[in-house]
Amino acid sequence: MRIRNVIVIGASTGGPETLRKLLTKLPVLDASILIVQHMPIYVNESVRKEIVSESSMEIRLAKDGDRLQNGLIYLAPSLVHMELVNNLEIKLAKGEKVNFVRPAIDVTMKSLKPSPSINFIGVVLTGMGEDGARGISHIKKELRGKTIAQDQSTCVIYGMPKAAEETGDVDFVLPLEKIPMKIAELVGSAGASENTLRNSMTAARKN
Amino acid sequence: MERKVMIVDDEPDIREVVKVVLEPFGFEVVTAENGDRCIEELQRGFRGVILMDIMMPGMNGWETIRKIESNGLTDGNIISMLTAKEDPDTDLSQMTETVLNYIRKPFKAEYLVSTVEKYCAWLDQNQKAPAVGN
Repeated sequence: MRIRNVIVIGASTGGPETLRKLLTKLPVLDASILIVQHMPIYVNESVRKEIVSESSMEIRLAKDGDRLQNGLIYLAPSLVHMELVNNLEIKLAKGEKVNFVRPAIDVTMKSLKPSPSINFIGVVLTGMGEDGARGISHIKKELRGKTIAQDQSTCVIYGMPKAAEETGDVDFVLPLEKIPMKIAELVGSAGASENTLRNSMTAARKN
Repeated sequence: MERKVMIVDDEPDIREVVKVVLEPFGFEVVTAENGDRCIEELQRGFRGVILMDIMMPGMNGWETIRKIESNGLTDGNIISMLTAKEDPDTDLSQMTETVLNYIRKPFKAEYLVSTVEKYCAWLDQNQKAPAVGN
């Protein structure tokens, strides 16, 4: 049975710069990555370009109905929650704000369903508030995945990672510079598959 | 490309420092000594980067942001807190998608310039090509 890797990364205040630094050091992974960054809608495309600038993986603004491909990163657009249907298809849905924000990291993480063929990883980066904490618990307890929180010393705001850590469900509390390699290690990235590389390179050419 | 910045801070020295740092780089700096003045400027049509202090007499920075949001004045602006407060308040109702960054005083001039420069470029990009999304 082929194991898929699905990674959800959440960020808020200070997130765009933090995500850029993280993705700069992230190798092409045999994984699909979902990013939820709280931001106003009119900077969606600018933030996408900012964080993609030195990334080896292609980042798309997620669209309703997108089916996850390996080697690609999907950034949640503003004003809607981003859920995964059957761990595969992106659903963008209006709805009440959760944790005072939309999209909420918790909504995306909690939409994931247990699966023996998926390796789930949850990451909470800098940000105010506590969005992502319930999602991290879901990934750890319900999905038996691995969880990472950014440490205080490298956070612009430690609120969200702290709330995640306080659940007791964070496996690794790490400075930003160590998070990319930990993600790669958890994915077992030594081997980005040929398809993954092709997807990422094709997408990068279109960018 | 318009490069407008509003510094909202009750301390005259900070308002002056921000002007002195940014104006030589071609930014037009508007100053507001409190939240009410900030709202007035937005109602008069200010669009650009807003640097918002937190602890101010009258409306504090967060209350000002809530008022900006409830009056529908967020569009076309990027807000960053600029504060001496080490940690944000723990009141979660202050959570918002409107604030992108949190710069602590004392700040490095180069960081302020590069950050504001980047945000102005983002706003300019948005004007040229409307954001994608639902």
